[in-house]
Order: sequence, then structure tokens, then C-alpha cells
Amino acid sequence: MKKLTVKDITLFAMMLAVIEVSKLALSFLPNIELTTFWIIIFTLFFKERIIPVIPAFILIEGVIYGFGLWWFMYLYIFPLIALMTYLFRKNKSVIFWSVFSSVFGFLFGFLCSFPYIIIGALEGGIKNGITYAFSWWVAGISWDIVHGVGNFFLMLALYVPIIKVTEKLSKKFFADKKD
Amino acid sequence: MNESKKFNKKWFLLLIPIALVAVLVTVMLVFSPKGEKGSKTITISVVDSKKQTVTYTTKTDAEFLRQVMEETEGLTFSGNESEYGLMVTVVNGETADFNVDGSYWAFYINDEYCNYGIDSQPVTDGDSFKIEYTK
Repeated sequence: MKKLTVKDITLFAMMLAVIEVSKLALSFLPNIELTTFWIIIFTLFFKERIIPVIPAFILIEGVIYGFGLWWFMYLYIFPLIALMTYLFRKNKSVIFWSVFSSVFGFLFGFLCSFPYIIIGALEGGIKNGITYAFSWWVAGISWDIVHGVGNFFLMLALYVPIIKVTEKLSKKFFADKKD
Repeated sequence: MNESKKFNKKWFLLLIPIALVAVLVTVMLVFSPKGEKGSKTITISVVDSKKQTVTYTTKTDAEFLRQVMEETEGLTFSGNESEYGLMVTVVNGETADFNVDGSYWAFYINDEYCNYGIDSQPVTDGDSFKIEYTK
């Protein structure tokens, strides 16, 4: 196991701050967010160093907005984004990452609907659970489309400039490290 | 040749979000709740935290629950607008806020849990709704 350095801890804090500030800054626009963008970029650059950032981000969100049902959805959605990004990390195409990011936006409601299967099933069996989750998903589809389109264009516009800046900064920051 | 293949692959990728949007729009159009036109008589019962029930009967042409509630004399409600419509937190002056104490207003249609928010819950003639303080 790699030894945790002061630089690593500083990097965690910086990543967390960037994600939180971006989220807050865009919170007035429903379903337009930079969280997915930053998780993808940070996973591409800092790989496993994203691991402590995601639970910290989710915990802070819970503390700020309350631990509602959505909080449990965050517990698996954002780690899933990081994991999928890690699996495709060799890809450098802006089109690929724009499509990747948009797919998560389009499927966000679908992924979020899973807890409703359990809630509905507790009320009246698994069939009720599936109906409840499906109805909930359908009710939010228009916003999923906004989310997916937003994610696509944000990645398309920001990927190249942010990659350039992050590359420069990470070379400087981790000049003493080979990874 | 390779460059051209790469180029084609990139543009082919764009078909994924386009296909996803097409699927989502189709699902939305086919499965979105649809209101029913015409006159209806709707009953709404409000059960407060003390288990006291007030029942209202409304004649309406409304197609969705929110409009019926707005037209129901004596029933007051408010909440927060969200992407799923109004999230009701206050009914007849009593607040149920899940973020504060885990309480919420549960909505039932003909004794079954409502699957939609009040903005998209369709109503049909003779429907009986229950709005119950739940903790």
C-alpha cells in the first residue's frame, strides 16, 4: 500500500472543494451539474486517489441537505461513475467522454429509481415496487434529458481546456512521483 | 484509412445519446400519466397528526390532483416546487417535513399509495384520495 503523503491529503481536499463549489455554483440550474464532469476528470488523472473523495463528497452533501432518500442513491451512483471511468481510462477522445458523461445524465433517473423498488415492494410486494419505481422514473424523464444534454455539452466544452490545465498542474504537483 | 475509421467511430459514438434520447422520449410519451377530460366528483380526506379526518368532496373538470386540490374549498396546502412538481409539506396549516423529523404527507388513491406527484397524478370520476400525516 502506498504511503499517504501531505500532497495526497491536499489533493483530496482540493478535489473535494472543486466538486462542492462547482455543485453549489450551478445549484440554481436544475439538473445542470459539474459533479459528473469532475469525477470523470479526477478519476482519469488521479486514478485511485479519487476513492476517499467520493464518500467525503456524499457525506458533505448529506450534512448540508439532509440524509434523504436521494443520499442513498448517491452512495452507488457516483462510485459507479468513477469505476466506469477507471475502466475506460485509456480513452482520450473528447467525443467519447462527452457521450460517456451524457449517458450517466440520461440514465440518472433510471439508476436513482432502484430504491423505489424496495420502498414499493415493502408497501405491496415486488410488482408494486417495480410499478412504483417505473412511475417515478417516467415522471422525471424530461429532467433526465436535460441532465444528459447538459453533461454532454459541459464535457464537450470543458474537457480539452481542463485536461491541459490539470496536466500542467499535476506534473508540477507530483513532479517527484513517477505515477 | 485508419484516420478515417477513427473519425467514423467517433461520430458513430454520437448515435448512443441520440438513441437514448429517442428511447426516453418514447417511454415518456407512452407511459406518462394522462388526465381524463370531463366532469368528475372527487373525494379528498385529510388525516392529520392527531388522526383527525376532514373530508372534502369536489366537482371538477380538472385532470390532475393538484388542480383538484386547488379547487377544493377549505383545503389549503403548500410545499416546495421540484422537478417532480410540488412536494407538499404543509396541509391545512400542519407541517410534515421529512428533513426535520422524518414526517411526510402520504398520498393515497382509492386506498393505494399514489405512484405520482400531485402535479402528474391523474384523477377519474369517483376517485377517493387520502392525504395522511405519516411519521
